[in-house]
Amino acid sequence: MDGHRAASLAPPVARLIEAFRKLPGVGPKSAQRLAYHLIRMPRAEAESLAEAILAVKDRIVLCQVCQNITESTPCPICSDQSRDRTRICVVEEPLDSMAIERTRSYDGLYHVLHGVISPVNGIGADDLKVRELLERLRDESVTEVILATNPNLEGEATAMYLQRLLKPLGIAVSRLARGLSSGADLEYADESTLAHALQGRTRSADQDASQSL
Amino acid sequence: MTTTRPRFYTTEAVVVRMSDLGEADRLLVLLTPGRGLMRATARSARKPGSKLGGHLDLLCHVSISISTGRGLDTVSQADTLEGFRGLRDDLGRLSRGLYLAELAERFAVEEAASHGPFRLLVDTLRTLEKLPADAADSLLRWYELRMLGQHGFAPQLQRCVDCESALEQKDHVYSAARGGIVCPNCRTRGDDPLLPAPVTVIKILRFLGRATWPEAIGLKVGDDDRRMVERVLRSHLHYVLDRDVKSTGFLDEVRKRLGVAEAAPEGDPPGDGARTGPQG
Repeated sequence: MDGHRAASLAPPVARLIEAFRKLPGVGPKSAQRLAYHLIRMPRAEAESLAEAILAVKDRIVLCQVCQNITESTPCPICSDQSRDRTRICVVEEPLDSMAIERTRSYDGLYHVLHGVISPVNGIGADDLKVRELLERLRDESVTEVILATNPNLEGEATAMYLQRLLKPLGIAVSRLARGLSSGADLEYADESTLAHALQGRTRSADQDASQSL
Repeated sequence: MTTTRPRFYTTEAVVVRMSDLGEADRLLVLLTPGRGLMRATARSARKPGSKLGGHLDLLCHVSISISTGRGLDTVSQADTLEGFRGLRDDLGRLSRGLYLAELAERFAVEEAASHGPFRLLVDTLRTLEKLPADAADSLLRWYELRMLGQHGFAPQLQRCVDCESALEQKDHVYSAARGGIVCPNCRTRGDDPLLPAPVTVIKILRFLGRATWPEAIGLKVGDDDRRMVERVLRSHLHYVLDRDVKSTGFLDEVRKRLGVAEAAPEGDPPGDGARTGPQG
């Protein structure tokens, strides 16, 4: 059926649809919509898009230090001498480091694993940038590693695995706090989230203030 | 003949596989008692404020409401029945829990009732949650034999699988391709790979095959015998499933490379009847 439809399309269009179908989260219908949108797009915009794709492939490398994607290595964050070089925040993907940067609450360094341990998919620690992290910790004067993997089972497995690996190095290892998100309803919270929220509860600000007086 | 599916239904399920889908959705593979293996999307489940996200993680035993449509089914509501926190807080138990779930998924088929395997998985996860490390491997072997038996692939352990003669009290060999123990007279027939099956290994396999789960976890086995029993059952599973069970890699890595010594179980000791274990 697909073959019959593809045969009736102009070959360049069919090729473009096939290329879009390979992108994550893009199904056959979305691929067709994107392709026909490109056909109607002004030539200058199409050329700009093509150049942007080629530039990413030609100029983007992995930072030798933190393994984040960058145009030059070391990346701007690893090169910035004003950042706290005693702390490394370990994240799953480059976008996770950007999310933490947006908070403006962290001025340490990062390490990007490029994935997460996923036993049922056959992805183990050797498929991630774990060896690079261990080498880095031997060389640098790091006193704390913050494990900022996602709070799901595979993220937890990865964090527990790293905790085990880092234990002999004598470096403090911490995890991001877990609990209720802003705007959430208690009645819809799952038992794990609620349990973590209770374990990580904090004193109210008034009480802290009265105790400090 | 076409079968009509209800527009909306509720079922128990265990999340056995999960992947990201689109901007913030999750694609779930669920083992259910009435419909076997099924796939469904959970919309916006990866967003921090999602009402579904926290309930739909791997190994969660949940009650879910499903809306059916032309495409993939959609999870409209989810409620955690058991989160198995004891598995999530310990790397050794977690690696074993994922192995149990993958094995259940490999055996299950879509749109076919799977009451026995579903109950076996839930009950075994519940038992594993509170089990000390030295008993966990016996539970895994017991589970493998139960899962093989439920699907009609139980190995032949009482007689020679070739000549059907009663096995003498001496060392034999094991053939996954032939489906069980092979006596010395028949070992040269065929060119399939054979594994050593000493008397102790055969006795352990027979015991686990007929034991209830409290009996199985009480079994004390030496390291060499434990490894040989595991090797025999892995080869059998590999032959039956025609592929490796991927999570064995992580299981072995955690056990051997990291030398994880699991935390002592909290609360009630296993097998004291405080909670319902797997049905032997």
